[in-house]
Amino acid sequence: MAKSDDCIHILQGLLVFGNVVIGMCGIALTAECIYFVSDPHGLYSLLKATENDDIYAAAWIGIFVGFALFALSILGIVGVIKSSRTLLLVYIILMLITFAFEMASCITAATHRDFLTQNLFLKQMLERYQKSEAASNNGNEVTKTWDKLMIQNHCCGVLGPSDWQEYTSAFRLAHSDADYPWPRKCCVLDAQGLPVNLDGCKLGVPGYYNSNGCYDAISGPVNTHVWGVAWFGFAILCWTFCVLLGTMFYWSGIEY
Amino acid sequence: VRGCSGGSAPSATPSWLLTAVEVGYTPALNKNPSLEGLTTASTFVLEQPRCVFEGYNNADIWLVVALDKATSTFNNTAAPGTPETAFQGFPDSVPAYMTLNATLANYPCPKPAGDITVLRVGSETSCAQDVTRPTCNGPLPGPGPYRVKFLALEGSEPVAETTWSAPIMLRTAKPPSSISTMGSGHSAGMIALTTILSILFAILLAGLVAMLVFWGSDSCGGSSTFSKPESVTVRRYNTHHVYDQPAARL
Repeated sequence: MAKSDDCIHILQGLLVFGNVVIGMCGIALTAECIYFVSDPHGLYSLLKATENDDIYAAAWIGIFVGFALFALSILGIVGVIKSSRTLLLVYIILMLITFAFEMASCITAATHRDFLTQNLFLKQMLERYQKSEAASNNGNEVTKTWDKLMIQNHCCGVLGPSDWQEYTSAFRLAHSDADYPWPRKCCVLDAQGLPVNLDGCKLGVPGYYNSNGCYDAISGPVNTHVWGVAWFGFAILCWTFCVLLGTMFYWSGIEY
Repeated sequence: VRGCSGGSAPSATPSWLLTAVEVGYTPALNKNPSLEGLTTASTFVLEQPRCVFEGYNNADIWLVVALDKATSTFNNTAAPGTPETAFQGFPDSVPAYMTLNATLANYPCPKPAGDITVLRVGSETSCAQDVTRPTCNGPLPGPGPYRVKFLALEGSEPVAETTWSAPIMLRTAKPPSSISTMGSGHSAGMIALTTILSILFAILLAGLVAMLVFWGSDSCGGSSTFSKPESVTVRRYNTHHVYDQPAARL
């Protein structure tokens, strides 16, 4: 019986440890998802314009799942120490529900990331940047976001200033090609926000305009967001799977 | 069609003076440094004709822009600033227009190294519709192809010219609807994630079902059943009267 007692204690210890890890990961997941939802890079309006902002929905689900994991891990620890069949059954069922929600969040984030391609952003930018007020309701947000993006990251367009030359756009309808081969925000700006050398910018002289595209500045934060939500969630779920299997095994062995 | 060497000249100008000297220079798009805006949809950038018109200090150097197919019809006796060479009529009623008036002083020779010296054809948008400015350097109306040459005029007589440039094509813009946004399919990571999570969830559900089905009955791991820790302390109590032996002997 001593050996069996040892096994029980080891199993209990492992389950308690597993639940502690789940609790801490739950808090980390909540904190991380709150950070993503707060949109530190200001990309939400761009994604909303593409009607593909579901990676934010995945982050919202992550916030609540994180809290649930923390609460349930405490319930699990109490149930394991007291060896209570009822508590552990409630724990297992609620954990399965939480598992399902987190699964949905991970899959949503990973799937929708695949939609956010270069071409999608290019098309959105051409169709909505500087679209006249009367014609659009959310074009203004897209314009402000792109301006901020281009100034902060010293970039132009999605792939480069040639985006504005290769395709017609809402911007081209409002501004002539000779005066504005590309938007003024693509020029190197001085402290007042005016181009340092307007003719140099219009000609495309290296040093007076931003020659690289903004796609890296967009896809970097989006990838971080999706990796944080989808893959961290996946790791938590794998660990939770093991803990739940152990709990089920422990539950079925409790005498009552 | 007027001939170039014909026509009645009131003065006794020899006929060879009416033919401009061809300087050995072909106008070309600017090569150095490479410019992003070398050709746009309505402008293009030429090299300046430095060290080309040496000796013609009194001449006005004009740029002649024509559609590729109209170069043969251009006559050097055409005068700039007239309706026949006005930019505003190009290309419908005017086959070639003249613009970018300059003198040799504008093109000093040799070119200082490090300076960017270019001519941007099509940069003046303010006078594009203004018929009082026939020599406007307005934006080009179509993708071309265009050919240009420089023509030096003294007064109204052509004295020197360059050859016609190679045809210059401008950029044509495609509509954004031609951009294909159909995804390239799902990434391997997403497929792996979905598959593994689904399998794990299925196993857990199966485990839950197995748990509930075998509730109460001997579980599969029956030999490892263990008891709950004692929650009731056993009270020790005496069932017999125990006398202290010494007391009983009294």
